[in-house]
Amino acid sequence: MNQYLQHFLYPSTLFASREPYMVKTILGSCVAICLWDPVNKIGGINHYMLPNWNGNDLASPKYGNIAIEKLIERMVQLGSKRDNIQAKIFGGGDLIAVDRSAMLIGERNIRVARIILEEKKIPVIASSTGGRKGRKILFFTDTGEVRHKFIDKREY
Amino acid sequence: MTNLSDRQLLKELKDRLQERTKYEHEIKVLSQELQVVTTRFKESEALKSHFISNISNEIVNPFTSILGLSKSILAVEKNDWKKVVSMVALIHSEAFNLDFQLKNIFVAAKIEAGEVTPNIAKVNVRNIIQTMIESFGLVARKMGIEIEFNFDIAYGFGKNFYFKTDSEKIKLIMSNMLNNALKYSYKDSKVIITVTADEDFLTISVQDFGTGISEKNQKIIFERFKRLDSGINSINRGHGLGLSITKALLDVMGGSIEIDSKKGEGSTFTVRIPEAKNVVDGFSGEGNDIFFDDDDEIF
Repeated sequence: MNQYLQHFLYPSTLFASREPYMVKTILGSCVAICLWDPVNKIGGINHYMLPNWNGNDLASPKYGNIAIEKLIERMVQLGSKRDNIQAKIFGGGDLIAVDRSAMLIGERNIRVARIILEEKKIPVIASSTGGRKGRKILFFTDTGEVRHKFIDKREY
Repeated sequence: MTNLSDRQLLKELKDRLQERTKYEHEIKVLSQELQVVTTRFKESEALKSHFISNISNEIVNPFTSILGLSKSILAVEKNDWKKVVSMVALIHSEAFNLDFQLKNIFVAAKIEAGEVTPNIAKVNVRNIIQTMIESFGLVARKMGIEIEFNFDIAYGFGKNFYFKTDSEKIKLIMSNMLNNALKYSYKDSKVIITVTADEDFLTISVQDFGTGISEKNQKIIFERFKRLDSGINSINRGHGLGLSITKALLDVMGGSIEIDSKKGEGSTFTVRIPEAKNVVDGFSGEGNDIFFDDDDEIF
């Protein structure tokens, strides 16, 4: 595992690379979508906190619809063909169990991922979403492999 | 299909009709939603084109002044050298403004590209704010505004107060708050900066005694490109990005911002920033930890 360059993915950011990277991130109600192009061995990942951009803030990848669009763009810039890209979806747990009216952000985050990916005809080949727990994930950009573990943690 | 009795047929028809009404209703709701989205989109487009014309003014005007002024300096006779000083001061203030605007635009672009991450170090807070105040000193002096700095952190005699945070982001947030405070102040007034720390939070507030913001407007000032006086005759310069940037940067650091303002009496903007931890929960700083075990699920 040592030959991998490492990157810690913060919320509201994106990462994509042609080099073999190991990207780590922690998810609560946030969702991370790992895109992988098996032909060119290009991997990219985002980490968004809310489903849809409200039109007011800066149009940053804090919002699902923007984060997905921008990640695909980044992959294409790096040389991927849209038709080759496949996706894995992680996160979207609803950790705030106390307040059931917490608007189910996790669930809405997952839904936006599925809708947009379907629209873009990008196949979702694996996923681990929802539930009550947080997740740690490790994404290998060259193989598209994702290692995944549940954690008992508060909101991220 | 098998034979249906009249009764069954009627029921079936009724059901289908009902279903149809349901769908019609759904379509109505959806098209209403679409209308809302379209209006928003139009608004956004208008703001964007406004922004572009604004921004070209912001960049072109200072450049024109700088070019003109430096040309005049080149033409000054040797014995008139005293004139140069005032012209250099003007060049400085134009360049300062240009630098400020460009920094904001580049950071906004970085935020929108998803490339802004916290960069944590031990920061000498007093020092950093002092530097920001000094950099705005010329602008403030020109307007006759006094910047008062209250550093209310008791921290050992003769020792510096350090806070783990992102110094570049604090600088940008401070410069935007200061710039706004000065921009909306009246001549010959005061801007008060107060810094306090409690437990794990750093609080910085910037108070001005300027135009103030009505309650209705307080809700929209964080929207990007939004300026309350965006008319062509507006006396104030700017692109309306400052506060959206401030908010996004605070987001990255887990901080928050509050406004307290009354129209005609001035505004106080207060930011609260939590102290950053050395370790992001579950990750060591170097990232060489054994992060995963054999019982990981692999996807």
